[in-house]
Amino acid sequence: MTAARQTAHRAIAMRSITKRFPGVVALDGVSLEVRAGELHAICGENGAGKSTLMKILSGVYQPDAGALEIHGQPARFTGTRAAERAGVAIIHQELNLVEDLSVAANVFLGRERRTPLGLVDDRAMEVETSRLLQMLECRVAPRTRAGSLRVGDQQLVEIAKALSLDASILVMDEPTSALTEAESVRLERTIHRLRDRGTTILYISHKMDEVFRLADRITVLRDGRHVRTVDRAATTPQEITGWMVGREIACHAFHEPRPRGAKLLEIKALTLPWPEHPRGYRLADVSLDLHAGEIVGVAGLMGAGRTELLETIFGVSPPTWAGTIRLAGQPVRFIHPREACDAGIAMVTEDRKRLGLFPDLDVAGNVSLCSLREALQGGLLSRGREESLVAGPLRDTGVKTPGPHASIMGLSGGNQQKCIIGRWLLTQPRILLLDDPTRGIDVGAKAELYQLIDRLCRQGLGVLLTSSELPELLTLADRILVLAEGRLTAEFARAEATEHRILEAATGS
Amino acid sequence: MAAPDSFLSGGLLLRRSEWALLAAIVIAIVLTALVDANHSYWFQPLASLRDIARSTALLGIFALGAAVVIIAGGIDLSAGSMIALSATVCAATMLALAPAEMVGFKPVGGAVVAAGCLASLLAGFLVGTLHAWLITAVRLPPFIATLATLVGLRSLARALATSTTAALLPTKNSQINVYDPAFKFVRDNVWIPVAVFGLLAFITWLLLTRTVLGRHLQSLGGNEQAARLAGIRTDNVKWFAYCYAAMTAALAGLFYVANESVAAPAIQARGHELNAIAAAVVGGCSLTGGVGTVPGTVLGTVFLRVVIDAVSKVIKTEAEIYEGLIVGVVVVLAVTFSQVGQLAKGGRRLFPGTLGICVVPVLALLVGSVVAMTTGPRAGIAAGLAALGLLAAVRLWEGRQAAAARPA
Ligand SMILES: Nc1ncnc2c1ncn2[C@@H]1O[C@H](COP(=O)(O)OP(=O)(O)OP(=O)(O)O)[C@@H](O)[C@H]1O
Ligand SMILES: [Mg+2]
Repeated sequence: MTAARQTAHRAIAMRSITKRFPGVVALDGVSLEVRAGELHAICGENGAGKSTLMKILSGVYQPDAGALEIHGQPARFTGTRAAERAGVAIIHQELNLVEDLSVAANVFLGRERRTPLGLVDDRAMEVETSRLLQMLECRVAPRTRAGSLRVGDQQLVEIAKALSLDASILVMDEPTSALTEAESVRLERTIHRLRDRGTTILYISHKMDEVFRLADRITVLRDGRHVRTVDRAATTPQEITGWMVGREIACHAFHEPRPRGAKLLEIKALTLPWPEHPRGYRLADVSLDLHAGEIVGVAGLMGAGRTELLETIFGVSPPTWAGTIRLAGQPVRFIHPREACDAGIAMVTEDRKRLGLFPDLDVAGNVSLCSLREALQGGLLSRGREESLVAGPLRDTGVKTPGPHASIMGLSGGNQQKCIIGRWLLTQPRILLLDDPTRGIDVGAKAELYQLIDRLCRQGLGVLLTSSELPELLTLADRILVLAEGRLTAEFARAEATEHRILEAATGS
Repeated sequence: MAAPDSFLSGGLLLRRSEWALLAAIVIAIVLTALVDANHSYWFQPLASLRDIARSTALLGIFALGAAVVIIAGGIDLSAGSMIALSATVCAATMLALAPAEMVGFKPVGGAVVAAGCLASLLAGFLVGTLHAWLITAVRLPPFIATLATLVGLRSLARALATSTTAALLPTKNSQINVYDPAFKFVRDNVWIPVAVFGLLAFITWLLLTRTVLGRHLQSLGGNEQAARLAGIRTDNVKWFAYCYAAMTAALAGLFYVANESVAAPAIQARGHELNAIAAAVVGGCSLTGGVGTVPGTVLGTVFLRVVIDAVSKVIKTEAEIYEGLIVGVVVVLAVTFSQVGQLAKGGRRLFPGTLGICVVPVLALLVGSVVAMTTGPRAGIAAGLAALGLLAAVRLWEGRQAAAARPA
């Protein structure tokens, strides 16, 4: 089927593509050629225009200028369906699932299978979905409600959706940003299988190691312009990041020990029941301490209970848990995030679109939301005060935005994430819970964010950090706890931790 | 760069769509002044202004409440029934406190009037609280919760009117007459409801743009889960929103009593909740929540009332039959109009495929029959055919454009 197309030499040709949004030129005359059957990685900072270019390729946006050719045929897509017909499928950076439908219904949304009588053939769709999910080695049942899944699983469902199209050109926009190491490895296996079938893949990622493992060629974009396209074999990660940023990035090591202060948080024998599940618990007998000036990392696979642990501390769900949580010695039992905020805790959630962003507020409104009291003047909100209030965090986190008035939905994914981190830093918390905080953030900004966290810790902040990237935990954390199936299976000091040992403890092998 | 089109930009400046609405109001007034055979806008400008001002203020007061709930991501369908209940509670309280005066058409005294008004506002607070409980604790969707009270409150008001009159008057009655001079004074002085509307609009504007609560209302409407995770007590914010809606409706109910000199729960303000929602939507509020402004809602209310008035001036006989039709058409046109830019740019079509072909005669038939009923059969047929030709042309043109955009 798709192998027949391999004869076409050039799968995609994009010529001087330009795309403007109010106040920004997202793409400025970008030209790009992709050979049939290759895996072409696209690198660039947050806001460089990667997603915009891919959305033009897949018919989401129409370019303001420039031409597009697919398999040698000129193409002008009026919508995603038109692109799908031409064999282009995309996995978007943001998740787009209908939460109330089942996983199978989501995979076949708009292309439902029919029985000979014309009725919806749920059975066939479920069988096909479980085949696709099996290929991704994902254990989600096709009948599960999509909204009940965590981001990582939702991401896999999105991937299954794109695979079900059997496209000859597959665009993957940060497919692994929500996946942990083990799931990423499985995705890589799937990618190899697709390439053996001759699928052309465009791959966006901020994870350099991944790019260098997979890509045949790499294209770098900067500020909406094409910088260069090179063979993977002919370059190095340092060179690529240099082109991305346009300068050298200082790679600080944080091994200079931080002074450890008083005990901020103490958790003893925390158990969180999960009645509707055979396992019976989401967390079992978890104990941990967090001191001022300390960063404690929590590693684990998807479904290990990392998010649940942070959510329990933050009072997100009704307190059905057993055990004790002490804040500065006082036992607490929060029933609403407000109480946790008042006690000096802040939490950056993992799913920014669903749990973090306010699409109708502008950038300033999104950042100031939790600290509005400080923008009051005579009892009323003052726009001037609000803007000077948010200027600090916007600068500290390095958000790239046309200004505080800009619409938050117009920012690139990584910049939205930085705004949310800025929102919580503004509340000047004593304890910061970070649930996969650098998801979708580029290398340069990541390094800056690490420095910021390090600086705040030196001033007495305590950080509990989960991450889907082990290198991140290894650079930042003083101690790393490993969760597997809701249980604490290991604790490593920084010196003893290696990727291998953590993975071993996380898979419980 | 273009002026920021943001809710937060506050100020007294209007957004682009609001300027368009203002222009539409002016156009509607000018057209009516020209088309109306009696030229009442020329010859009785004050009387016309008074009519429009009164009806606008009465609708606007609770349209502001509806807008607050809509911005917070909810909906309140019960405003019309709340108005009837408020009117009845006010009249029944006065009847209970001063039965002799009420029957004898004598003044009941300031204290009794105040007690009646306070009782109404209290009733509004209680209904708002009930809504909030049904929605946040029982977890009913707002549409269901307020649908129940839409039906239930009017019935309750009727029962209240019947049982109070049965207990206090020689004969039981389904309505309670109110002749107190204080209410007459309000009826004869249009500036009072207008001033109350203006003040309420200012307070609501301040609330939405310049207070923490207002920002929380808007974030609740934009993303409820994220709002909770940002430490906002969403349940309390909802409580406020539904109380605000019910209490503005209660306040409007008092003006209904003044205007009509009676609390008549069976018919008073029936269906008016939809006018309030329509005014908010015409003014730019989005039913998905998070979006909407006070200036927009005020302009939406004015526009709706001006158009209704215009049609009644032009049609003359039995104009109120057409009120619903006008509201419907205005809502559809206003929301369609706000997407014109998107339609022109995004390659989206107004008459796509087979659906587009089928809807053309439907619209033409609608236009033709309305014109036939208001003007005469000949004009109706002519208007219907003209609409058919015009819409068919648009459909054809769109089809061509779409075909040209598709690669060969
Ligand atoms: N819908 C939109 N409206 C306005 N501006 C937009 C819109 N989409 C993208 N932009 C702007 O275009 C630029 C490129 O954004 P894009 O999403 O393509 O970046 P990206 O390279 O994918 O970044 P990231 O790594 O953060 O995902 C950014 O400056 C962004 O603010
Ligand atoms: Mg992107």
